[in-house]
Amino acid sequence: MHDWREYDQNPVSHSAAHHLVAIAELLVEFGYARVSDVARNLGITRGSVSVTLKGLKARGLVTEDERRFLGLSEEGERIARGVMAKKQVLMGLLMDLLGVPEELADQDTCKIEHLVSDETAERASRALLFLRSGAKEAVAFVDALQKFGRQGAPESFPSKEVEALAREIARETEDSEEGK
Amino acid sequence: MSTQGPITREEALGRLNELYAEEIEAGLRYLHLAVTLKGLDRLMVRKILLENMEETLEHAQLVAEKIVQIGESPTLKIQLNLPAERATGKEALRTALVFERAALDAYRELLDRLEGTDDVVLEEFARAQVALESQHVSELELLLED
Repeated sequence: MHDWREYDQNPVSHSAAHHLVAIAELLVEFGYARVSDVARNLGITRGSVSVTLKGLKARGLVTEDERRFLGLSEEGERIARGVMAKKQVLMGLLMDLLGVPEELADQDTCKIEHLVSDETAERASRALLFLRSGAKEAVAFVDALQKFGRQGAPESFPSKEVEALAREIARETEDSEEGK
Repeated sequence: MSTQGPITREEALGRLNELYAEEIEAGLRYLHLAVTLKGLDRLMVRKILLENMEETLEHAQLVAEKIVQIGESPTLKIQLNLPAERATGKEALRTALVFERAALDAYRELLDRLEGTDDVVLEEFARAQVALESQHVSELELLLED
């Protein structure tokens, strides 16, 4: 359970993912992206953007033409599309399934959108598709969950109830691993 | 790149606050580069980086004073996460060139927005800063020549 150390080795850092997504969004919205546009989009300085882009250009993810307009390489675009798709799916899941408010769902997905594996994202997409399918079972499931679930933020986390649940899950996981 | 109308007071202030952040951040970057240097040319390049840090912070002060003259208080928004990696003198100067060029672009853009407007004082300030930043960039480019 020491995989957290690998997060630093992630092919795309949190900051790099934001830069790639910002360029992709600007290209869609305006048809062009410059360092100043990326800086304003991300609310950071041009100096910061330029230094980050230096690394992304060296890795072949971002391109810059002679008029200093930015673009994405095929790989850069693939990563940006992946991060954007994961964000949408995870936000949808948090909001539809857990009833998390949009602003909080946005903040929380921002922390993980570039780290979640493709496999988890694929499974999350299927769960969301099921929830939004309108199938009788999906509607009943969401209804039942909302009736069962407590609303609002806890005063302190983890509550005793959550800790007891976490211990139970850990015990069950251990038991099932021993049984293998 | 829509056609922009005349610069408003809010836009000018916004741009000056952006420049204030560029300069403060550049100052911190110079310091970080100076203390994380490695290699043979460490001592020589450190001196250059620390001198540039001082000049950059002086520029930040000038921008902040300009904001105060307009009748507002400077707002500083920076988000900096500098790696612990050590760099050679040449690598550090290359990085410095990247953020110095970014600052020069920001001053040039301000000057473009001010040219031909009634705000002669701010226009002259922007022009002077473009000259200073151009000098910084040229000096770094010269240092990086083989």
